[in-house]
Amino acid sequence: MAAAIKELSNVPNSSQETLWRRVERILPTVTKPGRYVGGELNQVIKAWDSVRTHIALVFPDIYDLGQSNLGLMLLYDILNQREDIAAERAYSPWLDMESALRENDIPLYSLENKRALADFDILGISLPYETLYTNFLNILDLAHLPLRSANRDESHPLIIAGGQSVYNPEPVSPFVDAFVVGEGEEAIVDVVNTHQAWKTAGGSKQELLAALAKIPGVYVPSLYQMDFNADGTIAAVTPESPDLALPIVKRINAKLPPPLTRFLVPNVEVVQERVSVEIMRGCTRGCRFCHAGMVNRPIRERPLDEILTALKTGLDQTGYEEVSLLSLSSSDYSQIIPLINGLRELLQERQVNITLPSLRIESFTEDLMDELQSLTPGGGFTLAPEAGTERMRAIINKPISDEAFMDTVRSVFKHGWKTIKLYFMIGHPQETLEDVAAIAELCKAVLYEGRQIAGGRTRVHAGISTFIPKPHTPFQWVGFDSLESIQQKLDILHQGLHGAKVKMTWNDPEASLLESWLSRGDRRLSEVILKAWQNGARFDAWSDQFNMAHWRAAFTEVGLDPDFYSHRARGLDEILPWDHINAGVKKSFLKTDYQWSLQGKTRPDCRGGCYGCGILSAFNELRLVAPDGGWKCP
Amino acid sequence: MSEQEQITRIRLKYAKGPSLRFTGHLDMQRLWERLLRRSGLPIRYSQGFNPRARLNLASALPLGVISESEMLDFWMDVPLPTETVRKHLAENAPPGLDIQEVTSVSRQEIALQEQMSASEYQITFYDPQPQSELEDKVAALLAADQLPRVRRNKTYDLRPLILDLKVTKADDGEIGLWMRLNAEPGATGRPDEVMEELGFTNTQYLACRTGLILKA
Ligand code: SF4
Repeated sequence: MAAAIKELSNVPNSSQETLWRRVERILPTVTKPGRYVGGELNQVIKAWDSVRTHIALVFPDIYDLGQSNLGLMLLYDILNQREDIAAERAYSPWLDMESALRENDIPLYSLENKRALADFDILGISLPYETLYTNFLNILDLAHLPLRSANRDESHPLIIAGGQSVYNPEPVSPFVDAFVVGEGEEAIVDVVNTHQAWKTAGGSKQELLAALAKIPGVYVPSLYQMDFNADGTIAAVTPESPDLALPIVKRINAKLPPPLTRFLVPNVEVVQERVSVEIMRGCTRGCRFCHAGMVNRPIRERPLDEILTALKTGLDQTGYEEVSLLSLSSSDYSQIIPLINGLRELLQERQVNITLPSLRIESFTEDLMDELQSLTPGGGFTLAPEAGTERMRAIINKPISDEAFMDTVRSVFKHGWKTIKLYFMIGHPQETLEDVAAIAELCKAVLYEGRQIAGGRTRVHAGISTFIPKPHTPFQWVGFDSLESIQQKLDILHQGLHGAKVKMTWNDPEASLLESWLSRGDRRLSEVILKAWQNGARFDAWSDQFNMAHWRAAFTEVGLDPDFYSHRARGLDEILPWDHINAGVKKSFLKTDYQWSLQGKTRPDCRGGCYGCGILSAFNELRLVAPDGGWKCP
Repeated sequence: MSEQEQITRIRLKYAKGPSLRFTGHLDMQRLWERLLRRSGLPIRYSQGFNPRARLNLASALPLGVISESEMLDFWMDVPLPTETVRKHLAENAPPGLDIQEVTSVSRQEIALQEQMSASEYQITFYDPQPQSELEDKVAALLAADQLPRVRRNKTYDLRPLILDLKVTKADDGEIGLWMRLNAEPGATGRPDEVMEELGFTNTQYLACRTGLILKA
């Protein structure tokens, strides 16, 4: 029994044993303590002193969400394959655990070796969405680390951050030593190698930062100065020395790295427990609101046999009962029918469930629907027209005629589905109240068709979100709709759907407003984030935790105007806070596309013919080494 | 032999170590289902759209308690040597789960839960305890006629659920507690309840289930 207690901390170091013993005692007092103990199947624990580099991969949301994050698991796997590196994990503690840690003065620790995060060489922070920023600061604080990069030296871990939100890194730039912009699988290895060389040489933090800034795709914000005009817009972004890259071009892999098969299988219930395989990265459709579609170009497909093998191996290694395919638009995968046939075999031999999200209306064929219905009987069918009128769909470049849409709907019902989920966005540029009212009409029309074909048990669900003009998209210059206008539009939808038996769900407009500040902010916004966190903001992505008052107060205290960041339309010639980050798509391309939107002019799928968005010129050399057929740019 | 008769019922004894301390009863069910799937053994699944492995845990272990002695039954379509079964399971077990014994039992036996009679627990304190003080507390508790408590808004008497309770002294002099609690369906005592009556909170000790006693 005493041995069992000792086993609770498998670390010889006595101070660490103390840390874990102290954690042990508080665990029975918090909700779901299984979040804080690690011990999952397929975790990697290396003897602390046996490696050169210790890196903690941090997901700033709770374990229940972060545990299944594919990006983080992939990096964990890649790094741990190196014998000289130990990659461990940490997540945000829930509020009760945070209090318990603070009351007992216990620093945040890693799940593998139960070491304080401050003991690591590098902390790699995953920032897939902006609403994690306050949690990120909270984690640094719980790790007993100075929040600002300027206040950390060689004795502190290097703080690097990556993920979809850092295509505009500025709002969190004072807190991060270096950003990895773009795909991290290769860049992270470069970062560790650079760190090792620096550590061996025994250099200063400045030398480390300078060396990191030389890695393609790595942005070291402290080496760039940002100056502002009197009106608050950006005057210039200037690198400290002329040999620093400007702009910083995102990092991509020529070929998608091998899919993950060693999934960490949690011992307590988390949000997603399944084998996930990314079938394709990027999208060529060019929806003008879509951040992911623009920044993840070019489109690269994974070979069919690689996907099926990965699914099988993943199932063997986890025992999961569900598989899921990931992509921005699964039905665009060039071998979707053979893929579905492969899945059916898998289903028959392993008895697993299959989820296949993100299908596009345009790419549906009768064949595909037949196949799908047999694969996932009983499930709902999801379509995302995004807007209620043809005019609006042309503006956002998701052109589909009402007639074609209704044909697809009829076909879905004819194939046996009884439930359709429809996704829409309100607040699009140039949107009129008629466009909004048309959303309700469209939903009712779908319900009507469903009842004709599939009978009384038809269900229609409308999910309404608010358009947020995102960096690196053709709509990056547009202002975010006013809260009054959004409310008015929601009211129109409520009225339009009143008594119609269409279930409607919608996002809190204030939460979207926060996202618009955070995604469009410049370096000065970091002070607002800091203040909001000090005011108590945490878990901003959680509707039950999000508190707008913390943010409003923070803007006032810092003396910045929130509307400047959200509602203001940006001038076409203005220097945008993310212009020094190059996501591969040229600003001139985005500008033209924006101007086309004003004329209602659409730009069809570029797999039929290249528009010269900038991807091929930026990554010409990479493409030469890419395997045949991987890239779908013509 | 008909197909029906070939179905084999397997009984496992296993230990649940510290890294599974906070994996509750329902999570353990899922953990076992996945372990059985990974094992590649000819597991018997339920019919239907979401097939699940049929399995039967002897008794729920309270959250936070580790165990040297858990029991589980599951069913296979094809009989296999128990050693083969043990090997497949051990190779696929997650950290903290130790397969100790695999036996084959009769399909006619009643469910494991129904066979439960008592559980034994060993308590280890995080901080050293004075032996005499602890002995006094134990004596006082055992002397009580009734120990009324409330669990899920229902009043019950803990006293008859405590079958035995004593202070232990390990070879290295460490003072602990040992208890045997009733574990019949509907009349199950939990170690944290006894500890609470003795004046200890769950932040002060680690409990380990050391034995499951089935009805004869
Ligand atoms: S380079 Fe051409 S084909 Fe490739 S994503 Fe850009 S526009 Fe499309």
